Amino acid sequence: MTIAQPPAVGPAPVDVPLAPRRGGVPQWVRILWANGKSRVGLALLTVFVLAAVFAPVIAPYDPSSAEFEAGLPPDGTHWMGTTSQGQDVFSQLIHGARTSLLVGLVAGTISTIIALLIGLTAGYLRGWVDEFLSGLTNLALVIPVLPLMVTLAAYSPARGVWLIIFVISVTGWAFGAKIKRAQIITLRTRDYVTAAKLAGDGTLRIVFREIMPNMSSLVVVGFMGAATAAVGAEAGLEFLGLGDPATVSWGTMLYWADNGGALLTGQWAWLIAPGLALTMLVTAMTLINFGVDALSNPALREE
Amino acid sequence: MSLLSVADLSVTYDTKRRAPTHAVRGVSFDIEAGECVGLLGESGCGKSTLGTALLRLLDKPARITGGSVTFDGQDITSLDEASLRPLRWRQLSTVFQSSMNSLNPVLTVEAQFRDVFTTHTDLSSVEIRARSEELLEMVLIDPSFLRFYPHELSGGMKQRVALALALALDPKLVVLDEPTTGLDVVVQRSILDSVRTLQREKGFAVLLISHDLGTVLEVADRVLVMYAGELVEEQDSAGMLRAAQHPYTRGLLGSYADPRDEEVDVTYIPGRPPDLSLVHEGCLFADRCPEVIDRCRTEAPPLDLVGMARVACHVAAARPSSRVDLDSHFAPHERPGEAVEDVLTVEGVRKTYTTRRRGSVAAVSDVSFALRRGHVTALVGQSGSGKSTIAKLITGVEKPDEGSVRFGSLEVHSLRGRALRAYRRHVQLVFQDPFSALNPVKTVWQALSRPLRNHLGLSTEDARARAASLLSTVGLPVDFMERYPHQMSGGQRQRVVVARSLAPEPTVLVADEPISMLDVSIRAEIVELLDELVRKRNLAMLYITHDLLSARLLADEVLVLQSGSVVERGEALSVIRASEADYTKLLLDSLPNPFAKPAEDAAS
Repeated sequence: MTIAQPPAVGPAPVDVPLAPRRGGVPQWVRILWANGKSRVGLALLTVFVLAAVFAPVIAPYDPSSAEFEAGLPPDGTHWMGTTSQGQDVFSQLIHGARTSLLVGLVAGTISTIIALLIGLTAGYLRGWVDEFLSGLTNLALVIPVLPLMVTLAAYSPARGVWLIIFVISVTGWAFGAKIKRAQIITLRTRDYVTAAKLAGDGTLRIVFREIMPNMSSLVVVGFMGAATAAVGAEAGLEFLGLGDPATVSWGTMLYWADNGGALLTGQWAWLIAPGLALTMLVTAMTLINFGVDALSNPALREE
Repeated sequence: MSLLSVADLSVTYDTKRRAPTHAVRGVSFDIEAGECVGLLGESGCGKSTLGTALLRLLDKPARITGGSVTFDGQDITSLDEASLRPLRWRQLSTVFQSSMNSLNPVLTVEAQFRDVFTTHTDLSSVEIRARSEELLEMVLIDPSFLRFYPHELSGGMKQRVALALALALDPKLVVLDEPTTGLDVVVQRSILDSVRTLQREKGFAVLLISHDLGTVLEVADRVLVMYAGELVEEQDSAGMLRAAQHPYTRGLLGSYADPRDEEVDVTYIPGRPPDLSLVHEGCLFADRCPEVIDRCRTEAPPLDLVGMARVACHVAAARPSSRVDLDSHFAPHERPGEAVEDVLTVEGVRKTYTTRRRGSVAAVSDVSFALRRGHVTALVGQSGSGKSTIAKLITGVEKPDEGSVRFGSLEVHSLRGRALRAYRRHVQLVFQDPFSALNPVKTVWQALSRPLRNHLGLSTEDARARAASLLSTVGLPVDFMERYPHQMSGGQRQRVVVARSLAPEPTVLVADEPISMLDVSIRAEIVELLDELVRKRNLAMLYITHDLLSARLLADEVLVLQSGSVVERGEALSVIRASEADYTKLLLDSLPNPFAKPAEDAAS
C-alpha cells in the first residue's frame, strides 16, 4: 500500500492521529525519541525503572536490616554510608526508586482517569451536568492542596503507600479535567461526531472511542504532569512524617536523615542521595514532557 | 526587463522522517509590470509553495533548492532578511486565503492601517487617517468601519480589509493566494471584481493563485498551469479558452459549463496527482491522461512553444490544433418523471435562533417541500440562507419552532432517544467537509462498520462483506478498508463519507454541500456518483448547495432560499434557465464561468 501525502504547506493540523503505525513502533514513541531532550529524559527514566525492577539484585544488602554499624560515612563496603539505625543507604536508595515510581505510575493513572471521566463528561454533555462538574472542578482547584493532603494523611486510620496514593489521586485531578473539558468542547462539534450519532453510536462510545483517541497526546501530557506531581507530593508527605516511617522510600529516607541530623554527623550522602535521586527523576519526566509537547503540537517536532 | 523573473526555481520539503518532497520543480516564468497572471492547479500541486517562495516566506522544512527569483532587477533568493524588509509590503505584498484571520483581533481596523503606515512611511496621523479611509472606499467598504474590530466584520469584509492593507503602500506586485476560497459565490464575485478594477486603475501586477480555473480565466490576462510541481502550460486567457493545449488544462476546462445552456455537459479528470517524493520517469500526468502515448511514459516533455502557448506535452506538440474529447463525461440523466409518493414532507417550518448579542434571527421561515424516491430536490442559496438549518431539522438534530417534518407517519420533531436513533437509520447525511467528517484515528473499515452493526445488526463477517460491497458501490478498491483518512485524497474521503451514509440503507439522503470543499477537477465525479445512487437505489435526496451548476446537473426540483424564505421554486430546468427572482439571477451571475468572458468582451 502506498502512502501518498500531499506536501505540507503551512502548519499541520494540531490533532494528529497517533494510532497509525509503521514498522511496528507506535508513532508517538518515534516522535518522543526524535526529540533530543526527551531522549535524555527517556534514558534517565529507563535507568530508574531498571533500578526499581532489579532492586533486589542490584542492592548489596537488605534495605531495612539494621545489622551494620550506625552512622558510617561512605566507604568501600557501604558506598553511601549507613543510617543512624545502621541500615545501608545505597540499598535504601535503590529500593526507594520502587516506591517513587509506583506512586508516580498509580497516582498519575488514577488522577488521569478521574480527570478524563469528569472533564469529558462535562465538556461533551454541557448543560447542567457541565455546570455541576465544572463547579466541582473549580472547587477542587481553589482548595489549598497541601493542607488538604496533610490533613487527609494525618487523620487517616491506616498509613502507608496506598494512603498516599489515594490522597494524591483525589487532590490532583482538577487541572487535567479542566484542560480535557476545554479540548472536548472544540472536538465535539466535528462532523465525525455527528456522523457517529447518525451511525447509531451511543454517547459513551462517541466520547471514549471516537473523540478520546483524538486527544491522546493531551492525555499523555496530563498523565506525565500528574505523575511528576505525584512523585514530588509523595516525597513531601513522607518527609513531613505523614507516611509509614517503616516503608523504604526517598521521602522516608529524607525524613530519617533530617531527624537523625545527618549533616551534623557527617553522613552527607544519606541526605543528598535521595534528594538528588528525586531531582533526577522529576527532571527526567520534565525532559520527556518536551517530547510530549511535540506530540500535541507538530510544529515543535525536530525534523 | 520583467518586473518579476523566475528562473528554474525548485523548492523541496526536506524532513528527516520522510523522503524529500519536490513541491516545485524547475519552474520558469516572467511577470511584466501591471500584468495580471493566474497560477492554476489542483490542491497539492505546489502552487502555494511557489507563491510563498516568491515572497521568500518559506518555512522549514521547505527551502529553495535551485534557481532564482529576480524582482525589479534584484535577485531576492540570496538577499538577507534585513534587505528583504524594505521590499516586503512596499514593493511586494500578499493576501492569503487565511488573510482574513491574519487581522489582529485586538486592534481596530484603523489601528492596523496605522501600524502599516507608521512602520513604512512618514505620513502624519491626519494623512494616515485620510489614506486609510480612501483605501477602505477603494475596496467598497464604508470608512466608518475603521473603528470596528475584525470580529465585527463578515468574512468577505475581512478579506477586503486584508486586500486594502496589502495595497496600502502601492506595491508593484501583489501575490493573491486563493483570496476568495471559502467565501460565498456572491462575495467571491464582488471581491474579484474589485481586484480587477483596482489592478487596471492602479497598474500593479498581480499573481493570482487559485485552484479555480473559472476565476483565474476571468480575472487574469495570462495563465500558468501547474501540475505536480511543474509548469505544464502557459498561455493568455483568451487563447487558453479557445485552444487549451495540455490535456490537464482541457480536463480542468471541462469542469465548467454555463448552467443556463440548453445542454450541460461537464467532465472530470479521474485519478489523483502523483506522490512528489518519488522519482518519476516521463510525464507526471501520464497516469491520468486520456491521450497518453508510449513516449509519455519514458520521456519527460519539455515546456516548448506550441502556437501561442508554452506547453509541456508530447501529444500537444505533435498535433497542436486538434481538440480531443475526454473519456469521463457527466451529463444529467433523465429520470422517470411520474408522480411517486412523498417519503418525507416538510410543512411550513419556521426556526428562529435567539442569541444574546444579535437578538433573534429567523433562520428558516415558512418553508414547505417534499422529498420523493428517485428524486433530487436542491436547496440553493448563499451561506446564511438557512440551508443547513433545514438539513438539521430533517435529520432531527434541531426541532422546528413551528410546522412539521413528517417521515411516513412519523413526526420527526417529536422523536427522542431510541426512536430518534431508529429514525436516523432512514435519513443519512453526506457532509460538506470530507476532512472533518471522518475520524482521523479510525480506518475506513472502522467507520463503515458502525452503522452496519448498529442499524442493521450485522455480525463482523457480514459487516465486512457489506462494507466491501459499499466500497465498490462508491468506486473504491476493497483494499481501502484498512486506510486511515490521511492516506486518502479529498475525493476518496468524500466517497467513503458517501459509502458510510449508504451503509444503513437509508430512504433519504441529505447532501450538505458535498462538493464545495473539493477540487474543481473532481467535483463532477462526486456529482455523478450521487446521481447514479439516486437512480439505482431509488433514494430521495435533498441536495444543499450554493452552486447552481451542480444543482442543474443533479436536481429535479430547485428551491432558491434567501434569508430563510423560498424566493423561487420549480423544476430545475425552468428555475435555472428562466429564472424570475432577482436573487436567483444574482446567484447565476456570480458563478465563475470562463466561457462568459469572451461574450462580455465581444459585447463591450
